[in-house]
Amino acid sequence: MSRISSMLTAAAACAVLMAATQSAQAQSSSLTSEQAMAAARAVQAYAKNDGSNPSLAVIDRDGNTVVLLKGNGAAPHNLGLAQRKAFTANMFKMKSIEWRDRTMPGKPEASERDTPNAIPLGGGVPIMVGNEVVGAIGVSGTRGGQEGDTAGAQAGADAAAALVKRLQASN
Amino acid sequence: MQKLINGFVWGVAGIFVVAATFALGQQMIKQFTLQSLAANDISIEQALLVAQGAIDACKKDNSIISVAVVDHDGDVRFLVRGDGASAQDADDARKKAYTARTFRSPTSVWLEHTAMDAVENGKRVDLYGQRFLENTIAKKGGMPIIWHADAIGGVGVTGSKGGEEADEACAKAGVEAIADQLL
Repeated sequence: MSRISSMLTAAAACAVLMAATQSAQAQSSSLTSEQAMAAARAVQAYAKNDGSNPSLAVIDRDGNTVVLLKGNGAAPHNLGLAQRKAFTANMFKMKSIEWRDRTMPGKPEASERDTPNAIPLGGGVPIMVGNEVVGAIGVSGTRGGQEGDTAGAQAGADAAAALVKRLQASN
Repeated sequence: MQKLINGFVWGVAGIFVVAATFALGQQMIKQFTLQSLAANDISIEQALLVAQGAIDACKKDNSIISVAVVDHDGDVRFLVRGDGASAQDADDARKKAYTARTFRSPTSVWLEHTAMDAVENGKRVDLYGQRFLENTIAKKGGMPIIWHADAIGGVGVTGSKGGEEADEACAKAGVEAIADQLL
């Protein structure tokens, strides 16, 4: 009897271990260049309606740059700002406009603004697959200010997330 | 008599040709000077004129200023550190020029726009984060150089005796020095 139970325990441990390994693999899956390019194209489609030439940055979950695009006629600060918005969305796993409001001076989270490279401006959106953040996109230079930048980045994030989901479904 | 008239006619024609050639030459020099304008950027001559205009304006109260002129990309085209000014003062002038260029407005206007409690069209705009950007500076004294609704450069001034307001007045005088070329 004790042998059977110990065997069962071993089997259960094995199963748990395998599941853990699998989820670890899923976690390490990184944003591909195709997915990032799809995000960039979606932002450009948004910008066409908008009549603007935004700059954008797509980063993977580790913060590595996957796509950088400088908009035609962009102001000198736009591309660097897009990168910092993407960094902020990825780091804090929320839209940078939400993080901006969360970290307003006087609030308990205000000190988060001391994080190097983070920036309290709207236009950064995490690329979410389910509850997981697989990367982020930052947009700067649309017509609608921070709200417009956020909407453009959201279009990009949705396009990338759709591709990630399709890939996961086919596996 | 006929010879005299002929000589007179040829003389007038000669003067006319010389004058026309001179005028054409002047026009070509002007075109050359304005060449970078066609590429949406300021030329070195313009950068020097702007800086000189700012320096001259600030001379009125014996201020010795630092002046920076940046181009369309926000990069330095001309920078002069005033007598006795620190390297930091000169770099602040550059930052003022950059800030005015990249946000296409005088830094004084940008300051109001990015204030913590700034309101626009009755709605609160929280653009304070723009002050976190590298190379920007939250001080008055930077003016954009606007051409056809785009900022093709910027000028920044530090060190005038009248403080930041006077810095801005001098920077403005600098831009006005090339106003006729920015039409």
